[in-house]
Amino acid sequence: MQSKFMQAVEDKQTKGDVPAFQVGDTIIVHQKLLDGQKERTQAYEGDVIARSGNGIKEMMTVRKIVQGEGVERIFLIHSPRIARIEVKKAGQVRRAKLYYIRERLGKAVRIKGDTKRQQALDAANAKAAAEAAAVKAAAAKEQTAAEGGVSKRAAKRKAKAEAAAKK
Amino acid sequence: MSKAVGLLGFKVGMTQVFNDDGTAEPVTVIEVGPCPVLQIRTKETDGYAAVQLGFKDKPRKNARRSEQGHVASKLASKRKDSRTKAGVQLLPKADCEPQRHVREFRLDAPPSVTVGQVLKVGDVFGEVKSVDVIGTTKGRGYQGVMRRHNFDGLPAAHGAKKVHRQAGSTSSLASNRGSGRPKKGLKRAGQYGNARRTVRNLKVIRIDADNNLILVRGSVPGFNGAFVLVRPTNLFNSSHNRVAVQQEVKTKIVLQKKGK
Repeated sequence: MQSKFMQAVEDKQTKGDVPAFQVGDTIIVHQKLLDGQKERTQAYEGDVIARSGNGIKEMMTVRKIVQGEGVERIFLIHSPRIARIEVKKAGQVRRAKLYYIRERLGKAVRIKGDTKRQQALDAANAKAAAEAAAVKAAAAKEQTAAEGGVSKRAAKRKAKAEAAAKK
Repeated sequence: MSKAVGLLGFKVGMTQVFNDDGTAEPVTVIEVGPCPVLQIRTKETDGYAAVQLGFKDKPRKNARRSEQGHVASKLASKRKDSRTKAGVQLLPKADCEPQRHVREFRLDAPPSVTVGQVLKVGDVFGEVKSVDVIGTTKGRGYQGVMRRHNFDGLPAAHGAKKVHRQAGSTSSLASNRGSGRPKKGLKRAGQYGNARRTVRNLKVIRIDADNNLILVRGSVPGFNGAFVLVRPTNLFNSSHNRVAVQQEVKTKIVLQKKGK
């Protein structure tokens, strides 16, 4: 059992919004990078071949093939440098660690899909996308309202009409 | 650095915390205090200056009478009565529960704390940059030289027989030639671990006053739940304390100049 003090220390920094993903899933890790002065995010897509540790110490190994060469990166799941984790594909595997795919090439690397989980995943992803779009639309609307209640498109049309009238 | 009061605590365990820039820091979580001040030792009465602290209450039924009497001013005793009658000034008592762990921190000068005052992590380590942790290492029993002193052992082949993990020759050290005895302090097999060790200059990462926790960078001796002593580091010119030390030295110099 974990000590309540340890819990108190770790709970402060563990993320609540880490999606449920398993070994064998294909995920996209959105990573924050410091590019000179500016901060930008970079996406890294690959298969989860291992998860290890618990609590704030939990790590995942993500493998992908770049130009025919296998690349593996180990991420701290709760690191503040990871902006978001997106689950793209649900995989069905019988191992907790997929180290065996390191020795495989081409077709043999493929991981069988888990249709049941995939459906739930797609629904969740679609919902999240719709929500994000709605939030974006609302923000855009708010901005146009703040700028004088005219949308960009309407303003363009108006300008065009004025130009035509001048002629 | 001058000697300073520390606190008593339990090692909770190790974990990691993230810095502002996203790097992970390996830390040991230590539960320290609150510690009541049980007694103050002075040069006049005891021959040295120190503060005696307690940590964790002990049920009264489990505490010996002497332990109860050490903290309670109201515990009746014939000796106390007779001493009061004789006009002896009784020592102040903390008036708290009997304490499970009692330790002293030596000081250079009489402390500013009073008996009965309860010291908390924020009071003691609020502005401390790095600490020393004293604990008892994990006991490993009787171990050979390879495990205990990181010796290399003897070859696996080339005629070595039944001596693969031995220390090799123990005599004929040049500085002890002719004495007929091995040199003092020669590293040999024996008890490894379960010994008091001090780790100095551990950087303080965070203080959690609500939970009485201090997070220090790196490892500390002992198993999880082990009793440890934590004090502001006495390492002069410690890298984490350098600024504070320089400040102290500067003020000292200024004071000296003013005195002149």
